[in-house]
Amino acid sequence: MSEQIRILFVDDEERILRSLALQFRREYEVLTESNPRRALERLKSENVQIIVSDQRMPQMSGAELLAQAREIAPYTLRILLTGYSDLDAAVEALNSGGIFRYLTKPWDQQEMAFTLRQAAQIAARQLQAPKVSAVIPQAALNVLLLDEDASTLDVVAEFCVAGGHRLLRAASLSDAVILLNSQPIDLLVSDLQVAGEDTAPLLKSLAQAHPRLLSLVVTPFCDTQALLKLINEAQIFRYLPKPIRRGLFDKGLLAAAEQAQLWRAQPAQVVTRLAQQPREERDREKVGSLLGMLGRLRERLIA
Amino acid sequence: MTTASALTRLLKPVSPLAADMSIADVADRLLTPELKAFLSLPIVDSAGRPLGLVSRTTLQDIFMQRFGRDLRGRHAVQEVMNAAPLVVSLDTSLEDAAKQITGQLQYPITEDFILVDAQGLYRGLGTVLDLLKAMEARIAQRNLVLRKALVELKESQTQLVQSEKMASLGQMVAGVAHELNTPLGYVKNNVQLLRELSAPLFELAEAQAALGDCLNDPTCDEARLTMALEVAAEARTKAAPELLVEDFTQLFSDTLYGLAQIAELVVGLKDFARLDRAMSEEVDLNECIRSALVIARNGIKDKAETILQLGELPRIPCAPSQINQVLLNLLNNAAQAIDVFGQILVKTWADDSAVCLSVQDSGRGMPPEVLARIFDPFFTTKPVGQGTGLGLSISYKIIQDHGGQIRAASEPGRGTRFLIRLPRPQALPLQRSA
Repeated sequence: MSEQIRILFVDDEERILRSLALQFRREYEVLTESNPRRALERLKSENVQIIVSDQRMPQMSGAELLAQAREIAPYTLRILLTGYSDLDAAVEALNSGGIFRYLTKPWDQQEMAFTLRQAAQIAARQLQAPKVSAVIPQAALNVLLLDEDASTLDVVAEFCVAGGHRLLRAASLSDAVILLNSQPIDLLVSDLQVAGEDTAPLLKSLAQAHPRLLSLVVTPFCDTQALLKLINEAQIFRYLPKPIRRGLFDKGLLAAAEQAQLWRAQPAQVVTRLAQQPREERDREKVGSLLGMLGRLRERLIA
Repeated sequence: MTTASALTRLLKPVSPLAADMSIADVADRLLTPELKAFLSLPIVDSAGRPLGLVSRTTLQDIFMQRFGRDLRGRHAVQEVMNAAPLVVSLDTSLEDAAKQITGQLQYPITEDFILVDAQGLYRGLGTVLDLLKAMEARIAQRNLVLRKALVELKESQTQLVQSEKMASLGQMVAGVAHELNTPLGYVKNNVQLLRELSAPLFELAEAQAALGDCLNDPTCDEARLTMALEVAAEARTKAAPELLVEDFTQLFSDTLYGLAQIAELVVGLKDFARLDRAMSEEVDLNECIRSALVIARNGIKDKAETILQLGELPRIPCAPSQINQVLLNLLNNAAQAIDVFGQILVKTWADDSAVCLSVQDSGRGMPPEVLARIFDPFFTTKPVGQGTGLGLSISYKIIQDHGGQIRAASEPGRGTRFLIRLPRPQALPLQRSA
């Protein structure tokens, strides 16, 4: 099944491209481009399922390339592979490029192979899934807000009223788990710290237990490493820095609603959310115990 | 210490005189040893309000006249007192009191001043000499505070310069660390690939060795030989050495190239961050530029194409690590001034008296009011937290210490050009800088 999967690697360093091509040519059909503009041209005429791009290139940044690639070929799985820990680039790649993974150079061979295998599986499922109609039904959604901030509430409440969505609020992690177990939640808007607790493990658990639920993170913290984990292990939909920038937040919420409505209308195999297992032991334990608490939800999904 | 108590400290509780006391008695009183230090004595009314001061000189003038004491000795002192004496309230600050007294004091000084409380009642005398001493002490104390403040200011200035150095060093180290990740990425992957790809080659070698043993062994039977042949053929198909040649060649050459890149970066870092600030006699500025570019490359590569027009340069004495700091600062500024993708032109040339260098970008440029201030310490157009505002002012100081000049020209929308002139040896009064 993976024979049909085409991966496009984009990097201004030809040696990176040669190395990656040699590593993966036996498993996938590998395309390489050292010029991001030519890569975009190719996307218009060729079917590509996975794009792996460098961040810093002379003609255009990787985040920009992936954002444009998303316009041209929305179903591609987009991966950023970069040697620079640059928060702005990561935020842009996530928010505009909707990236599937953020990988760092030098990469681990096994991890890269595993990530591409995961992406290839999703791509293969998508290839087999029936094409859906372009008309997205305007369903009312359940939105869970996990943030005490008044300015966040303002924007989310207004968004819910305008879209006819239902707003639920939780003041702590345990409240959130109860709500998640009793209500079918579509969107989660959460800070990374709620009532003194770290919400990242919950976000990571949800990505595994409930891949159709989209998480938007609003946070005053700016930590590239933390964001990288949220992308790879929690598959968050948006990362919005506090203080809230209204336009950006509104756009993120609208995009999330659209995506959630689209996924509702589609069979499960089209859902492209697949999180990586947390790398750190402590994280894995926390996520494991939260997954237990979210058990009922999981059973319902499997049923 | 409050200012009110400053005057209290000057207060001498001299008993006042009644207005009707005779001049002769006053004169006797003035001769008592405990009043020797005073130029004058106070006269108060029955309620304790000061009426005036009678001075030694007034009495001396009277007594020096012929029969002065006999004629006027019995008169009330009130007749000869100064009815408009210096009266200072005790709650006045030392500075204000000094101002008031020096303003009203007449030369020669013949009187003291009267100190009164808030109600205007007499409390004691103060002498001008004590006031002067108090003022002097206060000034000495102020000087001490100022001197301390100056030392602190100098220290924090040194610290700021140091933190700017550390900031640019940190930026540079982070940049180079990131820059290393690209060659490290493919070198690491290539070595792993080489290991994987070479595994079947070892199997092939082993199978062929076994086949060789078979052929050399006279006791080897047909079946064993056939088996060995088959194993060797299979290993050969699996390994496909003829297909590997090209891959191996490429992998090895890329890997070596990557290692050379890594080595170049490390050498660049070492050259660049030489912690000895020493002056060196024979420095080729072009080499400084190349080594600064190795370091700055990562910050520049996605912002601009760098064009080098390096002329023949005589070697000059300078502190290379300092010049590198200036160059890195100029190159980073140039890259940051470019919004989309532009050019950075670096030129060097020499004339009779100096070696010249220019860094020109095609960036935003600056309006004249900004250009006029770029070398000022703490002036920055970057957002808070992104620039110390010291980069160019330190660069300016470094070039100045080298006896050179740094100038900038800029046009909004077209770019900025920095020009540095460093004097050639003959005309060089060398300074060592901190």
